Amino acid sequence: MKKIKIIAGICWAFAGLILIIILFPGLTSFSRSVSKLPFMKLNARYTGGEIAKQIVAENCTLNIRKPVFNGFLKERNSGFVQLDWHGTIPELITDSVDYDRDGNKDFIIFVDRKNSKTALDPLNRKVKGVDISTATSYGWAARIGLLK
Amino acid sequence: MDNNLRLTGTGKTFGKSLLYTFPMFLITFMFMTGGRPNFSDLASSLALITAFLLVNILYFLMHYTGKTDRYRAVLFIIFALSLSYTLIHNMLEVRRSMSFSQADVLECKIPFCHLVIPMMILPAIFTKSIIFPGSILGGFADISSMVVLWLIATVVLGRGFCSWGCFYGGWDDGFSRIRKKPAIKKIGELWKWMPFAVLLMVALTSAVALLPTYCSWICPFKAVTEFEQIVSVESATKAGIFLSLFGGLVIALPVMTKKRTQCSFLCPMGAVNTLSNKISPFSIKIDKKVCTECMKCVEVCPVYALTPEDIKAGKVSVFCSKCGKCVDSCSKHAINYGIKGIPAGTMKNFSRNLFLFVSFLFMAVFSAGSIISTFQGLLKLIF
Repeated sequence: MKKIKIIAGICWAFAGLILIIILFPGLTSFSRSVSKLPFMKLNARYTGGEIAKQIVAENCTLNIRKPVFNGFLKERNSGFVQLDWHGTIPELITDSVDYDRDGNKDFIIFVDRKNSKTALDPLNRKVKGVDISTATSYGWAARIGLLK
Repeated sequence: MDNNLRLTGTGKTFGKSLLYTFPMFLITFMFMTGGRPNFSDLASSLALITAFLLVNILYFLMHYTGKTDRYRAVLFIIFALSLSYTLIHNMLEVRRSMSFSQADVLECKIPFCHLVIPMMILPAIFTKSIIFPGSILGGFADISSMVVLWLIATVVLGRGFCSWGCFYGGWDDGFSRIRKKPAIKKIGELWKWMPFAVLLMVALTSAVALLPTYCSWICPFKAVTEFEQIVSVESATKAGIFLSLFGGLVIALPVMTKKRTQCSFLCPMGAVNTLSNKISPFSIKIDKKVCTECMKCVEVCPVYALTPEDIKAGKVSVFCSKCGKCVDSCSKHAINYGIKGIPAGTMKNFSRNLFLFVSFLFMAVFSAGSIISTFQGLLKLIF
């Protein structure tokens, strides 16, 4: 029994040595495999959710994402909808948004990019206010707080 | 080299030490240069040669002198400093600030670090998603690569990751070495269980909030990496908390106690690595036949892994981070690196050589990029 334990210990230690030696040369391929695991995707609270609607203007595109109410075990009562403006965006943005796609406008958003000021005109009681409104590398993004 | 440095127990002759260093020399050369060294740029070449020589000289000295912690700590501290230097330097170049903005969060551009892993487990199970605004694959410090690096290292090294792989540990390790004698000698034993409480708290709060709460509110190392832009009372409070924790647990207490207090009392990853110590093939072993119970090892252990009761029982607790400080301090060579299954006091040199090769190789390769980049930056500043 003692000998078996010694041999098993040494084998495990050498397996560790091999693992460390192959770790760095194989890192790219190991990481790629790990990234394919079913849970290896960013939560919608970070990505902003899937794009639900795209409004294309002359030189600018507005992506309206699906509302995010993600919670740990069940959906939350409050969430947000993310809007992304790409392309050549005007200094003053005014857009009416129907985030729940019921055919009625839910809010009007005003963004003064030059002064980094954002205002919101809620047309739906579920629209709470502006959570985030900021310049991004692709243009501008805003998150509007919502109630479920 | 002063021959008095060499211990009769574990030190080797010059030639034998060179022989032991040779495989490390070859492997680090391959990993640092990719097998094709490029000496076209003077600063890059000098940085590469300096980093390469540094790691190999330190490894040689570990074999030649028989001392582990003394030389491990040099690379470990340089790793921590160089990683912070590289990260801050990059951030200042790209963002002109150490803080990240809301846009960086929205665009998921935050570098991932292993400390987030304990917080992402529950959400990964229940929501099948990762709660961090970083990149899953590709880019700087992506989530998949860091998970792979940590997972393999912690399975092989156990809590040894905290002394050989963690790029933050060098900070409090460094500060714990400043004073010759501790000003505070006794801290309650119960405090070493604190990381488990922190782990439980951050794992649950992160799951409920779908937010890595430790990174967001507590992590002291934001002081030397990156932090949220201060734009509100909330972000200012967060900055106050992490700066206080950095000042208290990473600087003041390590200086006063000569212990790694952040690692011992706060780090949730330390708690996870403590559990993986049970899997790791390597451990520290006490040879009861030789031990005189002088308790010198208990006194020097930086992570409260040894108690007089442990020494009397001839066992090292799971809190051990395998730094080697106790091994270096034992004049009787009663405490050594060991391999699970091999009885204490037998195959000491074999166990130590194998552990040193594995752990030092991980640290040398993992740290190489940031050390080379730091040396490059410093050389450019000088010339």
